[in-house]
Amino acid sequence: MTDRARLLRWFGPALLVAALALGWILPTPDVLRLATPDPRAAGEMTAALDALPDEANVLVGFDPDLGTYAEVRPTVRALLADLLDRDAQLAFVSLTAEGRALAVSERSRLEREGVDPSVVRDLGFVAGAEAALVDLAAGLSDRYDGIVVVGGNDLGPRSWVEQVLPRASGVALLAVTPAILLPEVRPYLATGQVDAALITPGEGAAYRGGLELEGSALLESREPSVLAILIGMLAAVAMLGQALGARAVATLRGTRARDAE
Amino acid sequence: MRRPTFTALVVIIGVLLLADLLVANDSLGLLAAIVVDAAILVAAGAALAAVGALGARRLGDLWRRRGDPIGAVLVVVGMATILIAGLRPGSDGSADPAVRWLLSALLIPLGASLFGLLFVTTLLAARRSLAGRSPSAIVLVAAAFVTLLLLLPLAGAGGGWLAGAAGWALDVPVGAVFRGLLIGVGLLTAVFAARTLLGIGMADD
Repeated sequence: MTDRARLLRWFGPALLVAALALGWILPTPDVLRLATPDPRAAGEMTAALDALPDEANVLVGFDPDLGTYAEVRPTVRALLADLLDRDAQLAFVSLTAEGRALAVSERSRLEREGVDPSVVRDLGFVAGAEAALVDLAAGLSDRYDGIVVVGGNDLGPRSWVEQVLPRASGVALLAVTPAILLPEVRPYLATGQVDAALITPGEGAAYRGGLELEGSALLESREPSVLAILIGMLAAVAMLGQALGARAVATLRGTRARDAE
Repeated sequence: MRRPTFTALVVIIGVLLLADLLVANDSLGLLAAIVVDAAILVAAGAALAAVGALGARRLGDLWRRRGDPIGAVLVVVGMATILIAGLRPGSDGSADPAVRWLLSALLIPLGASLFGLLFVTTLLAARRSLAGRSPSAIVLVAAAFVTLLLLLPLAGAGGGWLAGAAGWALDVPVGAVFRGLLIGVGLLTAVFAARTLLGIGMADD
């Protein structure tokens, strides 16, 4: 290993963390934007929420995972704030242990911010995975006007579409999931089985940008730093680009050497 | 020797649940509900047994001084802390402030930090995989490189073009591959389920 490589190995991660911290502190320049220019997903979500009755009863299937929750957290909090602003009654249920831990944390946050505990009921953790969903579906359409699924774990929107919708027709199904679930959820959006979904960070940012909840304590205290995201992505692009370039150069040199022989 | 009990059980339960989905009948619904409740109880019991087995395994590791003692201590102390916070006399269970604090201030940030490290480790793994000169690794890293470029959060006309291209890439090639995998998994699941229902085992192949 060369001295340069050794230095990079030792100081690279520290430099990256410092650059990310700087990006987090500095204001976002106008040339950067997280929200997708296509407003369809955000519009569909707003339309689906508008279609819910006043003081709607909404079941929140809260099963994100710890790894990707940071990606959807600002959107989840914005959606919950939007629902509460529309006087919705929320009932949280989780089918995974991670989802339960995150649901306890989010409900605790809502109560800390002054939300009446009676409008954010806790149905707790239900064991049994798909069997639990089948059990939940019994009489669901009589008790709830809509379902919001916060996905990321094994039991995401796909499981709700498969197990609950056939047994609870007429209930709107909305979803917030990390981008990794996009190929899984998009077909259900196309068929109308999922009424609206916010999947990519850009769609989430577009939805948050359209909300009129300025200053609400239920929202994230600040939006994700687009500059920090860009710095991280550029670092990744640089590392991968350098590795791919080095591989291409090595291949070219090898080919030339063989030709010269 | 083939045991027909499991197959028969799967056939009966599967037909019962399907019939309940298709036919509106109170008695059938009641029977299906009992079966579903039984499945939930079995799953809950299995989950508790798994947690108990994990704890017992780690305690056994400590007792016999084998494996990773620090990891074992952390697992046992973590489990004991959550159990004491949630089950001590006067506790509100998962609504108890101590449990909430443990989750919100400790477990979730720790979990997120560990997953955050994936950023660095994934990049290092990508570089190492390229060093192996495997064609699949080159394709994988090149695809990741292009996807990252398309997802750059830029504003203006350039950003709009990138976002459009990223949307197309996610919807068409990435979506096609992923959906192909899902369809493959679905077909295999259906085949496996049909084999189970018909009582066909490995020995019949």
